Amino acid sequence: MTTDRPSSGSSSEILETSATCTLDELCTACHVETEWVTSLVNYGAIDPVGNEQAHWRFAGIAVVRVQRAKRLERDLGLNLPGVALALDLLDKIDELRSRLKVHEPFVS
Amino acid sequence: MEFKDYYKVLGLERGATQDQVKRAYRKLARKYHPDLNKDAGAESAFKEIGEAYEVLGDPEKRSAYDQLGKNWKGGEEFRAPPDWDAGFEFSGASTEGTRDASEFFESLFGGMGRRRASHGQAEFHARGEDHHAKILISLQDALNGATREITLRAPELDAQGHVVLRERTLSVQIPKGVTEGQHIRLKGQGAPGVGRMPAGDLYLEVQFEPDSLYRVSGRDLYFDLPITPWEAALGASVKVPTPAGSIMLKIPPESFQGRELRIKGRGIPAAEPGDLYAVLRIALPPAGTEKAKKLYADMARELPFDPRAKLGF
Repeated sequence: MTTDRPSSGSSSEILETSATCTLDELCTACHVETEWVTSLVNYGAIDPVGNEQAHWRFAGIAVVRVQRAKRLERDLGLNLPGVALALDLLDKIDELRSRLKVHEPFVS
Repeated sequence: MEFKDYYKVLGLERGATQDQVKRAYRKLARKYHPDLNKDAGAESAFKEIGEAYEVLGDPEKRSAYDQLGKNWKGGEEFRAPPDWDAGFEFSGASTEGTRDASEFFESLFGGMGRRRASHGQAEFHARGEDHHAKILISLQDALNGATREITLRAPELDAQGHVVLRERTLSVQIPKGVTEGQHIRLKGQGAPGVGRMPAGDLYLEVQFEPDSLYRVSGRDLYFDLPITPWEAALGASVKVPTPAGSIMLKIPPESFQGRELRIKGRGIPAAEPGDLYAVLRIALPPAGTEKAKKLYADMARELPFDPRAKLGF
């Protein structure tokens, strides 16, 4: 095993609050084809702002969502409706888990 | 190096059919997929299942493994016999890239896909892989921003094509106002690119260490505020903590157990900062002294109060 010296801090960016990206930028960041992302949009798995495809803008967090969709398709053999459903259910679980955590009193 | 019982990993008998192998794999993959299962250990379980399926799901590799595995038990000290795979033909369809395979797997199947890859004639260019990791930070780091060093281990191919675990320490700037579950992207900090292509990116998923006082939900913070029954009944002004120092909080009269009092804008900072919630917990004074007992007895006599009125008898 080799160890490097600490490298200097490169700029960190919170995806949830970062600027929007274009379809091309999203595809480059996720290593996927444009058509694949277009299908995700058509199944409602991610929602762009803007009416025509040429003007689509995606929230920064779409990168994480598309990567997750890709993993679910590749690892579990899901089709796109299945991927869209899984993403929706995962959102729901995250929300419930977060609410549960707040209302769980401290163990003293 | 330990021998890995891939049948045990998939919960199968040695005589399982290829269909049974596939079914067991699919079921376990859904159960342990790191995107679906947030438990610690799910990711390594998922990798182990994938590795087991890569061998047992491929009839060529499976028969080679079976030949080898008859006399071994999971966990036993193992060394691959020389030329153990002689007589088996591998089409080399899988074993892609620098997948994080176990040492056991590498010693058996590691050379295969790569021997072929080295025959490529033309110069090869590819963008480096993206890496994903979790980063555990304290609530204080999120409230104030911080610089933290994290250590990452990632498999990498050395010049001879062997997989080596490379450890590197990165200094990461934690942006002020980051919340749990958010993702930080560090451009160019993933795997190095091949040829003239740029390195991949590093994605960090933020998790918070449990805080001794506050619970976190999005940008909002919650804490339990113990109060007396008379403070709840009559109202009061009490000193409470906030991340930016203590303040006086007004408790309205007739407050009840579990009531959430909002302190606006005192949560995690952002353009729209989160709120801080004091959750009222009414603490009963102990009836340990004669005086306390008398006061409780007076209340019992003087206050017409039936908390069980709605139970219906």
